[in-house]
Amino acid sequence: MEPVTIGEELLEERRRRRRAGDPRLTDADREILRRVTRGDLAEEFQAALDADLVNDPLLGGHDLDDDVA
Amino acid sequence: MLVIDEYLAVDVLLGDWPAALSDDDTLVLPTTRHFRLLQRVHNPGTRQLTGILDRLSATGRDSLRHPHPEVLQILDPRPLLDEAASIGARYRTGGLLMVETLAAGLAYGHQLWFGTQRNVGRRLAEIAAEFNITINLAGDI
Repeated sequence: MEPVTIGEELLEERRRRRRAGDPRLTDADREILRRVTRGDLAEEFQAALDADLVNDPLLGGHDLDDDVA
Repeated sequence: MLVIDEYLAVDVLLGDWPAALSDDDTLVLPTTRHFRLLQRVHNPGTRQLTGILDRLSATGRDSLRHPHPEVLQILDPRPLLDEAASIGARYRTGGLLMVETLAAGLAYGHQLWFGTQRNVGRRLAEIAAEFNITINLAGDI
């Protein structure tokens, strides 16, 4: 069996921490956000993202040829 | 660095790390895409979204407002602005979200990662193809 170096252990620990996500999120927060982005509210979430582009020309853009000099 | 979208940003903050994403790469979210997530915190949209997102804990809201840098980093837009403006001029389109995302894709490995096809955008996909930027989907539902 190959020996594991301290560097490899640290890297593995970092991977574990990253994969666990942000510890500031509670279980209830995680449930809410999963519903919003991947669950029953995902369509509304995407619609809200799309609306941001429509409602904000800087963010969503427009045809520059329509600009009047 | 891997440039990701709002869906994947939320996935990784939740700890739902998509199998397709390397856990050794730094994940970065363009500023304008972070802005759209922040809009959901401060002005969610529909009444139902508002109702449920208002139930996030204060620390949960903080994780979206100021993501843990070990999990997710927000890209500094300043080094990307010139390229973004150039893309906008070349394709006769504004839209900071699209051109910043494309500039980020050009700067970081000629690839972009999205959590769902619905969030890609037809024009972005067309221009990405011209720049040989690969669009990857991870965690689609």
